[in-house]
This record gives sequence, structure tokens and C-alpha cells, in this order.
Amino acid sequence: MATEVKLPRLGQGMESGTIVKWLKSEGEAVKKGDALYELDTDKVTQEVEAEASGVLIKIAVPEGEVEVGRTIGFIGDKGETVAESAEADSAKPEPAPVERAANDVPHAATNGSKGSEAAAPAAAREAGGRIKASPLARRIARERGVELSQVRGTGPDGRIVAEDVERGETQPATAAAAPAAPAGEVESRPLSNVRKTIARRLTEAWTVPAFQLTVDADMTRANQLIARYRELNPDVRVTVTDLLTKLCAQALMRHRDMNVQYTEEALLVFPSANVGIAVAAPQGLVVPVIAGADRLTLAQIASARGDVVSRARDGKLRSEDLQGGTFTISNLGMYDVDQFIAVLNPPQASILAVGATRDKVVPRDGDLEVLPMMTLTLTCDHRAVDGATGADFLRTVKAYLEAPGLAL
Amino acid sequence: MSYREAVRDALSTAMRQDDDVFIMGEDIAEMGGSMGVTHGMVEEFGKERVRNTPISEMALAGAAIGAALQGMRPIAEIMYEDFMTLASEQIVNQAAKHRYMSGGQLNVPVVFRTQGGAGWSPGAQHAQQLEAWFVHIPGLKVVFASTPEDVRGLLWSSIYDDNPVVFFEHRTLYGIKGDVPAKIEPIPIGKARVHREGEDVTVIATGRMVHESLAAAVEAEKEGISVEVVDPRTLQPLDEETLVASVKKTNRAVVAHEAVTKMGFGAEVAAVLQYQAFDWLDAPIERVGARFTPIPFAPVMESFVVPHMETVLEAIYRTVTKKS
Amino acid sequence: MAKVESKTTLAKSDLPDVLREMLLIRRFEERVEERFRAGELPGFLHVTIGEEACAVGVCRALEEGDVIASTHRAHGHTLAKGTHPNELMAELYGKQEGCSHGYGGSMHLYDVERGNLGANAVVGGGLPQITGAALAFQMRGEPRVAVAFFGDGATNIGTFHEALNLAQLWKVPAVFVLEDNHWAESTPESQHSPIRDLSDRAKAFGMKAIKVDGQDVEAVYKSTRQALDHARSGKGPVYLHLDTLRFSGHYIGDPQVYRPKNEAKKLRDTRDPIELLRAKIALPDAEFEEMDAEVSEIVEASVEFAKNGTDPAPEDALKNVYA
Repeated sequence: MATEVKLPRLGQGMESGTIVKWLKSEGEAVKKGDALYELDTDKVTQEVEAEASGVLIKIAVPEGEVEVGRTIGFIGDKGETVAESAEADSAKPEPAPVERAANDVPHAATNGSKGSEAAAPAAAREAGGRIKASPLARRIARERGVELSQVRGTGPDGRIVAEDVERGETQPATAAAAPAAPAGEVESRPLSNVRKTIARRLTEAWTVPAFQLTVDADMTRANQLIARYRELNPDVRVTVTDLLTKLCAQALMRHRDMNVQYTEEALLVFPSANVGIAVAAPQGLVVPVIAGADRLTLAQIASARGDVVSRARDGKLRSEDLQGGTFTISNLGMYDVDQFIAVLNPPQASILAVGATRDKVVPRDGDLEVLPMMTLTLTCDHRAVDGATGADFLRTVKAYLEAPGLAL
Repeated sequence: MSYREAVRDALSTAMRQDDDVFIMGEDIAEMGGSMGVTHGMVEEFGKERVRNTPISEMALAGAAIGAALQGMRPIAEIMYEDFMTLASEQIVNQAAKHRYMSGGQLNVPVVFRTQGGAGWSPGAQHAQQLEAWFVHIPGLKVVFASTPEDVRGLLWSSIYDDNPVVFFEHRTLYGIKGDVPAKIEPIPIGKARVHREGEDVTVIATGRMVHESLAAAVEAEKEGISVEVVDPRTLQPLDEETLVASVKKTNRAVVAHEAVTKMGFGAEVAAVLQYQAFDWLDAPIERVGARFTPIPFAPVMESFVVPHMETVLEAIYRTVTKKS
Repeated sequence: MAKVESKTTLAKSDLPDVLREMLLIRRFEERVEERFRAGELPGFLHVTIGEEACAVGVCRALEEGDVIASTHRAHGHTLAKGTHPNELMAELYGKQEGCSHGYGGSMHLYDVERGNLGANAVVGGGLPQITGAALAFQMRGEPRVAVAFFGDGATNIGTFHEALNLAQLWKVPAVFVLEDNHWAESTPESQHSPIRDLSDRAKAFGMKAIKVDGQDVEAVYKSTRQALDHARSGKGPVYLHLDTLRFSGHYIGDPQVYRPKNEAKKLRDTRDPIELLRAKIALPDAEFEEMDAEVSEIVEASVEFAKNGTDPAPEDALKNVYA
């Protein structure tokens, strides 16, 4: 009796895959463990091994999308015959962030301080230029060469206190990289399987009842923290995305209702925050996951992110890199995008779209201040998450960004 | 041993071993003193050495000074701290200055013991805390102990100090009990005591407020604020070193006394801290004390004017708050 | 200077010496006035011209171990108790060699070794402390007496009443010497006291009082001996009322606008204790002049001594605050 070669579920949430090409031909001898075919799961293309030895009697599905569990081939004894079966494509759409500019989305300037000392921090700089800072804060700033004017005060009346200086760092210039598109004649590119899958999953994602929440965050202290971190860890180049990963992970642990995957039977609540990061790989967008980001240090996150991103760009991601994500961050800031709405990455309940950090004039206590502001847009699956839950979570993220010490 | 017994023990032990030590004051003999401190002493030591005086604070203080000039070690009890006003001429103009004016020829080894403080509606003329006046006089030493162990050890040291010492007791502390060493251990004048260690804020407290501050520290701990409580014990000379070191550690300070806050002893402490720990301060120094009124009679008003545990706690919170 | 007399009265043979002593005080005070007017002496000064018999008469009567506390008008008491004029003058000049080492000045003259517990700038300030010193003598069983000087103005102040009251209550060996010159600064006695005879104050305390002519040094001596004996024997304190006269103003430079112009002159002519004693012992003029020259020489030398003395270092002000 021939062994059916069924399309394996290579990852949680994988509903289907696209057979790219068979590596063995019909009639060819196959040993267990041999690479049998190339499978594209829309995130990664990988070789699938044979699970039996014998002869590849039949290739039922030569290529294309196949749902998990479908028989795609048979391995048996030489001379055996089997019947074909058709594959139906009922895969759920693969989530992928879509570049969708929304120029007229208003900036939501919510005030989200956390902690038992909830405050509406006023400007540390009084009209007339004098900076309010405690003697201790001034001394620490002096010793570390920190510019008080760059520090945001959280003390009474916006006074800069020691912890503000300790957690504040000067902001470095964020790198922007956007390679120019080459000019030339119109080129026709056939849709790759990946692209087809993205198109399909995207369209279907659009049908999920989702809502978006937007907020602006003052990146002063976040930037200072990143610069400081880079000073302390020259080997590991911490980025805004890394910081976001960490802060979102902490926020997810604080708002457990957000750290979920939606299934029709139940909401799966995860014990740790597995944050996916959207990466532009050559073959298309992939979202490798930093597992347990809530327990990792910023340096560890940066290191992990660096690793998966380089492997993604080299096409060397493994399925375990893509599994178990509970939340995705898509940062198009380096492309100078102000703000966008990301498409959900089901079964994840939410995804955060991050724009570029820009100096903006912000009114504070009757004064105008120039602050580095970053726009965050959270898309939530309303089947899993209600508005208040999402808003609460987003407020926490903003608070963490504006005072990273609260989360670290 | 109670605070009251501790005072009595120091007096009695000194008198037993030293003929030159004697006590005088109003109603201290048969009555045992208005606060019962000298209870039983006239029976042990006799009327010569446990002397009742008429109501004559100037003569009482002056006679003690005169005897001290002859090398005796008298302890004069001024019944209420408020009556220190009457004795002040002799204490301030005479006792504090003899050594200086004589170019070092005389010592004045006298102790003026007195008690004060609000509580139980004694009224404005029987409730004052006047340590600020006496710490301000060069030539005087001023002590204010808050526990039985401290009051006993410090009274002993005061008796045997060759300078005039103004020794404050607090009426609400007489009944408190505490552990004391089996034998009197002299406590050096000029040395503070850290009652409780903490990391976030230092509370420097005297007299009754030491106990209020310790209670406030327990409450603050529940909010995650770690409070260090320090009792200077000697007000003049002040153990600046210990106080400053503590504030350098915690970066925040509250100074608490029962006396009126304005122009009080706490102002001096705050100035010392501000000066020596300027770059270590993460918040303005808070002062806790009585409001700027005489002490009212009606219990609700008296309670409003004098500080309590809650007043200290609020001050602690103000040092850590982010709110304006 | 102060001789210990064990007799109840001054010996006739001692009188020239007594005169000399009074004359020394007189010349000293005159020189002090003159030096003050020359601008050499800081602060304010109160001279005892006219009251020399009180100081000498009382102090000569004291025994070894007896102590005194004086007033703001202390030069006479200080010299009579045994302080050398050099040390006194040096103190007035604010020198280290002064009896209070420059710390006290005219109103805070101390000479503890010689039983002088200090002059006091606060009226009545020393009285309770004399009660206390006497108490110490009583408690220790020492045959010593504590003597306080005070003026008629002081009989109104609280410390006077409290100190004498307590002293009498406890029957301590004290003598309270009232140098009644009938002026409290610029206020005549008739305007500061409701009673005319200040001896009556002692009655209020039930204290033994002795009243005597303060310009008669022999009488002063004798009554002081009586008072001391009484106190020393444990019978209680004595109020010694010396009726005396202040020839000068309250302080040097006092224009005495409050005093009838001729009063002082008249008093000098008739009630000068030095002249009275001189007449009494019939001292020949030549001897008197010799005596005068001698004491004047001593006074002169004291001014020299003081002027050549050592100024304290400014930082010395920080010493002696505490033992």
C-alpha cells in the first residue's frame, strides 16, 4: 500500500502552502529524509523531506497552493498506482502590511502617563528659558554630559528629576533608507507564488472586522534611551523597532487580553509576548517572530532582530522563526512614512503600524514646544479585541515610549 | 522601663554616686514633680538634695547656676517649658556666658530639665515647644531625647557635661516604655540616632514626632516608599554629619518637630541639609511642625494645629510626588 | 590687696592702709575716666567714685574662700577683692592680660581665683547665683559666705525678690550688700521705689537687715563682719544696707542733666569717704601726698602695662564658648 504524501502543517496557523517544485520525479527512488519538494508557505520557501522510502509513484499536485492535509503525492513500491485528488485552495489570507497612506488622519494627542503618580507633565522649560530641574538632576546631567533641554521632566510642574535624566538620552538621527526605484521601460513581472499568496490573503484579511486607533508619542526620552544603549552596547545597534518590540511586549503582558490569537472556537491567550517584526525580504514581506520578547533585554531583542532580519533577507528563515506570533510591528518610519494602517496578521488580534519620528510643534500648557513625535496606528480584530481594550493597550505603549523607564 | 522612670533612674543613679549632684524645682519633693518624674526621690535622698523651691523660676535657675559655679552639679526642673521664659534671663545671660565672659575661668555644669508639648488641651501657656530659642544661644547645649534609653543615657551625659544643658522632655512620652541596658550607658551628646533605615526619603524628627514619623514610615512602606527615620537627639550641637549622610543617600528630606514650623529648629536643619547636600537633593526639603498659632484649647483645634503621623506622611508623599 | 581681718573692727594701725586702698581705687577710676575721654577705652564704663568705702570696707572683712558677685559698677569691688590694677586696666583695654582675658570688659570682670565670680551687666543678674553659691557652701558644710553687691535700682527687679526670698527660705550663708547711692541711672530713688527706707525690703523676706553709713569705711567694715558672722554661723542671710553716694554720673560721660548741678559738688565736699577717713586718722598732708603719689604711680604703671598688652587674635573669639 502506497504512503500518501500529505501537505504537512509546518507551523501553527498554517492552513496551506504552495508547492513550488518537486525535487524528485515520478518513478524516482526516494529514501526517507530525502528532500522531496519545495514548499512555499508565503513566508518562507523550504524543502520538505520524504517521510517514507520507496518510489515516488505519483505526484498528485505538481505545483500551486494546497491546503494542509491534502495528499500531494504517493510513495510506494515500483509499479503501484493510485488515484489523483484535486486540491482546493481555501487558505486564509496571509497577512501582510500594506502601504496605505492616510494623510488626513488626525493626530490623537492623548495624555497617557502611567503609574501611581499620574500626572499631566508640564514643560520643564518655563517661559523665559529657565529649565526646572532638581539639584540632583542637574548634577547627574552635568556628570553625564546630558543636555537638560533634551530631557523631559516628570516631577511637579514639569521639574526634571534624577530619574528623568537617568533614563533620558539625546536623540540620534534615525536612519532613513529608501532605495530609489530604477527608471526604465515597463517590465512585466509574473506574480510569484509568494506574491499571489499575499494578494489572496490580503484580500481576505480585508474582510475581517477591524478598527484602527491612532496616537502620537513624544519620542524624546525613547531616543535618548536608544542613544545611551548604543553607547553602552557598541556591538549591538539598538533601533527604534527594537525598543518598540520591547515596549509592546511589556504592554502585551500588562494587557493580556491583547496578547491573543483569534480562532472560531476560542481566543488563545499566550503566556508570553511573541512579537513579529515585518521585514521587507527580497521575495516579499515576511514577519519573523521574536519569541518571549517580554523577557528579553533590549540588547537581546536587537541581537535577535538583527539575526532574523539578515536571514530573512537571505531567504534563510526557518518555519520556527515565523511561528507563534501574537502581535506584529510594522515600521515604515525608515521610509519616511508619516502614518499608515497595517492590515491584520491573523490569527493575531492586532498589528501596530509605526511611522517616522518628526519634529512637530506641540502646544503644552499654553506654550509651543518642538518635540520629536511618532505616529502609531494600531489595527485590531474586533472579533478578538474591543475598542477600549485596544485603546488601553495603545495608551500604555505611548506611555512607555514617552517614559521607557516605566517598562524596562 | 518607662521614659519617666528612665529620667528618674539617671537622676537617682547620679545622686547615689555623687554628693555634688542634687535636684531642685517646684513640687519635686513629696509630690514627686508635676509629671511624677521625681516620685520617691525625696524619700531616698532627703530634702536637702531633693529641694522644693517657691514659684521663682529666676531664683531657681540662678541658684542652680550659682551652685554649679562652685563645682556642684545641680539639675533644676522648670515645671513647664513655657516657664523657661521666666528662667531665661539667668539661663541665657548668665549660665550660657560665664565661661566666655570670664575668659575660660568658670564652668557652669548645670542642667535645666523641662517638659512641654501639646495634647490633652493644656492651653497656649502650657504647651509650647521652645527649643528654637535655646539652640540659638552660644554657650548652651540642648538635648531632646525621645525614648527611654536615649533619655536616660543623655541625661546622664548632660549631668556630667561641664556646660549648661537645656534638657527637654515631652509630656506625652513619659509613659512610653522601651528597652534600656541593665546599666546606664552614657550616650554622647551631639550624636544622632538612626531609628529606621530607608532608601527613598529621610525623615529627621525630634521628640514626639520621632514616634509619629516611625508610624508614617510604616504606612509609606505600604506604598512602596522606603523611609529612613533619624533622631538628632542633641539639638545643639547638631550631628550634621549623620543627617547629611542620610540625605545624600536618600536624596529627599522631611524635618519634623512639634514646635511651630516657621522660624523653627527645622529651618536650621533644612538650611544645613540644603547647603551640604545641595547636589543630592531631588526634591525640596519638607518641614513638618505646628501651624503658626498659639496652641488652642478646644481639642479639635489643638489637633488641627499640631502635627501628627498623617502630616509627616503627607510630607513624605510630597517629596516623591510628580504632581505639582 | 585684700587683707584678711579676723577682728570685728578695723585696727587703728590698718587705717592708713585702708585709706591707701580707697585712694588707689579713686585714682584708678579718675584715670579710667580720663583715658575713656581720651578715646582709648572701648565700650561703656561706670566708675565708683564716691563709693570706695563700700568696696574696701566689705571686701576687707571677707575671709579666705568667701566669694563676691558684683554689678556693672565693678572696678572698686574687683580691686578691693584683690585683683591687681594691671590686670584690671588691661581688661578695660581689652587685652589678653586682662582678668577676663579680653572677653568681658568693664562689666564682666572675673577673678575666680580671688573669689570674684564676676561683674554683671544685668541689674540683679548675679543675685540668684549668690544664693546658689551660698547654697553650695551650706550643702557641703563649708564655712564660706557668698556676698552680692547691688544698687538701689536693683531692689525693684524680679531677681532681687526671688533671690532674697529663696536665700532666706533656705537660710543660706549669703550677704546681700545694697550700695544705696539713691540713683538708678537717671532716676532718683524717690521715683523708682514706693518706700523710702530700702532696709524695709528685707522685712518682706524676714531677713536680718543692717543699715550703715556707706561713707564710713570703719562702720562698713564692722557691719560687714557682723553680717558675715551671722551668715557663716548658719543663722541665715543678711541684708546689708550701705547708704552711700555716687559722685559721678551713671556712666563716664553722663552729663547728669537729671541731677541738680551743685549736688555732686556739695556731696564731695562733705561726704567724701577718703577725706573723711583722712581727717579721722589725722594723716599729715605730706604723708597723704606721698601715699597719693605712690598709688598714682601704680595706676600709671597699670595704664602702661595695659597699653603694652597683647591684643587677642580675632579667632580667639571662637574659644571658651564651651568647656
